[in-house]
Amino acid sequence: MSAELALRGASMRADGVTAGYGGDPVIHAVSVRAEPREVVSIVGPNGSGKSTLLKSLVGVLHVSAGTVMIGDRDVTNLPPEEVARAGVGYVPQVDDVFAPLTVRENLEMGGYLLPRTQVSAHIEQVMAVFPRLGSMLGRPAGKLSGGERKMLAMGRVLMLEPAVFLLDEPTASLAPAIARSLLDEHVRRLAEGGATVLIVEQRARAVLAISDRTYVLGGGRLQLEGTPAKLSASPDFVRSFLGGGGQSIPSGGA
Amino acid sequence: MSIFLASVGFGLITSAVLAIAAIGFTLQFGVTDVLNLAFAAVMTAGAYVAYWVNVSGFSVWIGLLVAMAACSLLSVLLNVVVYTPFQRRGSSPITLVIVSLGMALIIEFGIEAKVGGIDVSYTMGQGRTFRVGGLILTTVQLVIIGISLVVMAGVHVLLKYSRLGKAMRATAANRTLARNCGIRTSRVITLTWALTGAMCGLAGTVFAIDIGSFGPTSPDLFLVLILAAVFLGGPGHAYGAMLGALLIGIATEVSAAFIAPDYKYVVAFVALLAMLAIRPAGLLGARA
Amino acid sequence: MYYVLNLLVYGAVDAMACLGLSQQFGIAGVTNFGFIIFQAAGAYAAAILSLPPDSANGGFQSYLGGWSLPFPIPWIGAAVAGALLALPFTFLVGRRLRGDFAAVGLLVTAVLVNLLVTDYRPFLNGDAGLAIVPSPLQGELNPGSTGYQWAYAAVVIALAGGVYWFVRRITESPYGRTLRAMRDNDRVADSLGKNLLSLRTAMLVTGGAIAGLSGGVLVGFINTWSPAAWTYAETIVLFAAVIIGGAGNHRGAVLGAVLVPLAFEEGSRFIPNSQNLPPNLIPSLQWVAIGLLIVAFLWFRPQGVLPERKRVIAMPGKAAASASTPAAVPGRAPPSAGQGVGVSVGQGDGVSAGQGARAHGAVLQAVDLSRDFGGVHAVSGVSLAVRPGTLTGLIGPNGAGKSTLLALLAGTDRPSAGKILYQGNDITGLPAYRRARIGLIRTFQLASEFKRLTVMENLLTAAPGHRGDSLRGAVAGRRYWRGDEAAMITRAEAILRRFGLTDLANSYAGDLSGGQRRLVEIMRALMTEPAVLLLDEPMAGVHPELARRIGMALTGLCREGMTILMVEHELAIMDEFCDPVVVMAEGSVLAQGTMAELRERTEVVEAYLVG
Repeated sequence: MSAELALRGASMRADGVTAGYGGDPVIHAVSVRAEPREVVSIVGPNGSGKSTLLKSLVGVLHVSAGTVMIGDRDVTNLPPEEVARAGVGYVPQVDDVFAPLTVRENLEMGGYLLPRTQVSAHIEQVMAVFPRLGSMLGRPAGKLSGGERKMLAMGRVLMLEPAVFLLDEPTASLAPAIARSLLDEHVRRLAEGGATVLIVEQRARAVLAISDRTYVLGGGRLQLEGTPAKLSASPDFVRSFLGGGGQSIPSGGA
Repeated sequence: MSIFLASVGFGLITSAVLAIAAIGFTLQFGVTDVLNLAFAAVMTAGAYVAYWVNVSGFSVWIGLLVAMAACSLLSVLLNVVVYTPFQRRGSSPITLVIVSLGMALIIEFGIEAKVGGIDVSYTMGQGRTFRVGGLILTTVQLVIIGISLVVMAGVHVLLKYSRLGKAMRATAANRTLARNCGIRTSRVITLTWALTGAMCGLAGTVFAIDIGSFGPTSPDLFLVLILAAVFLGGPGHAYGAMLGALLIGIATEVSAAFIAPDYKYVVAFVALLAMLAIRPAGLLGARA
Repeated sequence: MYYVLNLLVYGAVDAMACLGLSQQFGIAGVTNFGFIIFQAAGAYAAAILSLPPDSANGGFQSYLGGWSLPFPIPWIGAAVAGALLALPFTFLVGRRLRGDFAAVGLLVTAVLVNLLVTDYRPFLNGDAGLAIVPSPLQGELNPGSTGYQWAYAAVVIALAGGVYWFVRRITESPYGRTLRAMRDNDRVADSLGKNLLSLRTAMLVTGGAIAGLSGGVLVGFINTWSPAAWTYAETIVLFAAVIIGGAGNHRGAVLGAVLVPLAFEEGSRFIPNSQNLPPNLIPSLQWVAIGLLIVAFLWFRPQGVLPERKRVIAMPGKAAASASTPAAVPGRAPPSAGQGVGVSVGQGDGVSAGQGARAHGAVLQAVDLSRDFGGVHAVSGVSLAVRPGTLTGLIGPNGAGKSTLLALLAGTDRPSAGKILYQGNDITGLPAYRRARIGLIRTFQLASEFKRLTVMENLLTAAPGHRGDSLRGAVAGRRYWRGDEAAMITRAEAILRRFGLTDLANSYAGDLSGGQRRLVEIMRALMTEPAVLLLDEPMAGVHPELARRIGMALTGLCREGMTILMVEHELAIMDEFCDPVVVMAEGSVLAQGTMAELRERTEVVEAYLVG
C-alpha cells in the first residue's frame, strides 16, 4: 500500500466552456480550474452536465466557446489522442476498459506511448498502487467485478503518469464500501503523489471528504463553488441537489 | 493412396490460401468497420499485377511482392477516397456494403475491360512432388502452405507483441478509448488498410497460382469461401478466421471428393447461412 | 420495329422488378442482394410449366417438369414460384440479424444458387439453359407476327402498371407506413407491437412474387433462359436503378428501370460493336459505369432523382380547432373515465367523479420485485402501488434501479423474483407487447422517433388495431380502412393540439428539436390510449419551458383518468406536477410522499448526497 507515486502535475483550466452534442449546448460557459496536488470535484444532480463537461475537456465533444488549457498549452478542441499526449489521463464513466483484452493488455494499451523498455516497469508500478490487479493480469477485463474494473481503468491511465487525471463518476455502480475505499485510498493518493485530479461524482458527501475544492453544477451551469467545509454548511448546497425552497438542512450523517 | 487423404491434401492448400484472405478480410472489418465486399476484386487486381510482372520476364514470386505492394496501395486509396468519406458522413453500415459492392464492380470489370475475358496462367514450374504420409504435394503447394503459416504466425506476433498490432486491437475493441490512450486511430486505420491490402494481394496471387489459370471473375466464388470462413470464426476475429479457413478449406475439398466437385461450395454456403442464422458472432465470438 | 418492341418489353419487365425491389429496399428497408434469383425462379417456373416433357424435344435439353400447360398458368406459376422461394430466407431477415449481415447472406445465396443451377444439368439444363420456351398462346396465335408482339408488349406494360398499382396500394396504406417505420428504426417498431418477422416475410414474399412474374413474362417473350441471364451482378443493376431513381419512390423505381437496365444493357445492345475493340470491352465498361453510378449517387444524391415524397396528411379538425372537440373515439383503457383519453381537448369535466370511485385500489402494483444482473441487485424487493389517476414520480440517484424497475413493469425485462399486478391481475409472465395491448405502455430514454415519417405519421403508426395496418387490409384498399384512418387522424390531431404541436404535424420527425422529439414519443404512446403510461425521463434534454408544457399536458391526462408513472431527474418538475413521488436508492424504495415531504427526510437527502 505504500507505493510512492512521483507524478508531475500541471494546472488545468477551463474558461467559459460551452459544449453539447450537436443541438443546443448542454453546458453553458462553465469555468473550472485545478492545480497540482489538488483534488477538485464537480458534483451535481443527474443531467446537470458533469460528464458533458469532462468529455469536452478531453476532446471527445466539440467545444463551441471557451478555452481549455493544460499548463501553458491550449488544448481546446484537440482530438482526444492529442489531449492524452498533452498529459491528460481520462477515465470515462462507461466503456472504461477494453473488455475483450486481458488486464495486462489493457495496461499495455494505457502505456502505448511509453518506450517499449519502460512498459514492464510501469506495470509493476501500477500493480504496486493497485495490488489487487496483480493476481488477475491474465483475465479478460470484461470479466472483472465493478471495483476491479474501475481500478484497472485508473491503472490504465496511470501507466503514462499523466499530469492531470479526469475521472468521470468512478464510483458509479460500486457498492458504498468499495466506493469509499476507491476515493479515500486511490483518488486521494494520486493528488498526494503530485498529480492534478479533477473528479466528477454523484456521491457528493463521499467526494467532498477527499476534495480540496468543489464545484456544483446544475442545469449545465456552475451553481456554487468553494471548499467542502463551506459548501456543506450552505443551505444552497442541499437545495442544488433536491431543489425546492428554503427548507432547513437535515443533519447529515457523513 | 486414398481419396480421402488426397482430398485432405487439397483441402490444406485451399485452407492455406483461404486463411490469408480471411484473416485480411476479418482484420479489415474488425478494425475499420467496413464490410469490404470489394475484397475479392482487389485480390483479382493483385493476381493480374503479378501476371503482368510475370509476363515481363520476372519470376512470379517477384510478381507476388509487387502485387502485395499494389493491393496495399489500392486498399489505402479505397479507404481514403471512398469509405472514410462515407463513414464520416455517418452513412449506415448497409450503405457502406452497397458502396463496397459498387467498388467491387468498378475494380473487377475495370480489369476485365483491360484484359478481356480470356483466362491466363503464370509461367512457372511446379517443382518436385513430395509424398508426406500419404499426401502428395508439389514444391509450390508446400510453399503456399508455408507462406500461409508465416502469415498466420506473423499476424499472431503482430497482434500479440507489436505496437501497431496492439493499437489495432485497441481500435477494434473501443475506438474512443483507444484515442484516450493517445493512439492515433486514423493512422492505425490507414496502416490496417495497407497491411490487409498487402495480404489481399498475397492471397490473390497464391490463389491464382493454386487454381492454375484464372480470369477477371475467378475470385468471385472465392469470396463465398472467405465470407464463410470469416463468419464461422466470428467477424473481426483473426484467430476465428484461421479456424474458419481450416474448417471450410478441408470441408469443401473433402465434400468435393465424396459428393461431386461442383458442389464443394455448398458446404461453405450452408456453414455461412447456419452461422448467420444461429450464431452471427461466430464460433469464437463473445457475444451471442 | 423489333428494336422498339424489345425495348418496350424489357423496359416493362425491368420496371416490374424495380418496383418489387423498391418496395423491399426503399420502403421496408430489406436489403435483398439475392433479388435476381426470385426473377430467375419465375422464369424457370414459367418455362418448365409451358415446355413439353424433355423427352419430347429429342433430349437436347433436360429439365424437371415439362407439363405443356396453357397460358396463363405459366405466368401464375412464375409468381407463385418467386413467392415460395422467399419462404426459406425469412430466417435471415428476422429481427436478430444485422441488416448488412443479412444482405451478405442473401448475396452469397444468389451466387451459390446460380452456381448450382449452372453445374447441375438434369435440373434446369445447366449452363446452356432452357431454349425454345413456348410463347403464350403460340398454338392459337403466331408469335412471330408483329401484331402478336405489339399485343405482348401491351400486356406486359399493363402488367407493369398493375404491379405499380399494387405496390402503391400497399405503400400508401397504413401498412406501408408501418413498413417505413420499420425501415427507419426496427427496434422501436418492434416495441410498438409490430411483428418484424411477419412484415419482412410479407415483403420477401410479395417482392418475390413480383420478381417471379417479371421473369415469367420475360421468358415468354425471349423464349430462352440460362444462368448467364441472372448472375448476382444483375441484382446490383436493379439496386442501381432503384437508388438512382429514388429509393422509396415507386415512380423513381420506374424511372430508374428506364434509365439504368434498359438504357445501359438493352440500349447498348444495338450499338454497333466497333471492329477494332476487344469483344468484352463494352459490356465490361457498362458494369464499371453501374458501379460508378451507384457510388456517385449514394454520395451526391442519396435520395435519388425522384426523392421519396412527404406524405402530407390533411387535418379535418384544424380549421375548427377552437370551435369544438371532434367526436370522441371510445377509449377502452380507463373504463370509468368516460370520453377517450387522447381525444377530448376540454377540461375533462365529469371525469373526477369516476376517478374518485376508483381511487382506492392500485391500478399497477409491484410485489417484492427483484432483478439481479450477475450478482448485482439492480432492483431488490421493491413493493409499490400506483394509484389510478395519479402522476407518480420516480426519482433517485444514478444506478438506483429506476429504469430497471420501469422495464420490469413494462415487460421489456423479466424479474428474478416477485410479482406484478395490473388491474388486479397477475401479469408477471406477460410479454411486453401483450401488456401493451391491455393498456400498459412505456416510452424509452433514448430518442426513438421514425425520422423519415412526419410527426402525424409517427403518431398514426402507433394506432392499435387499425384495419389498414395489415397486408390484407392494405390490399383491400383505401375504402376498407379509410374510416379507421379518419378516426385515428382525429385522435392524433387532438393529441397534437393538447401538446401544442399541431403546426408541426406534417414536418419530418427527424427535423424536430430534441425536446420536440421526446414529445413525439409521448404522443405516440398516447395514441394507443393507455390506461397506464410509463415514461422514462421524458424531459431529459428538454427546454424548461417545453418541459413545463409537457408536465401540464400530463397532469391534464391524469385528471381525465389516465395513470402515469414517470422517471425523471428534474426535481422542479416533480415539485410542480407529481404526487406522490417515490424515491429509490440502491435498488430499493426509500420513501414516498410529496417532494416537500421528501426533502424533510434525512434518508432521502442522504441518498442523494451520499449516492
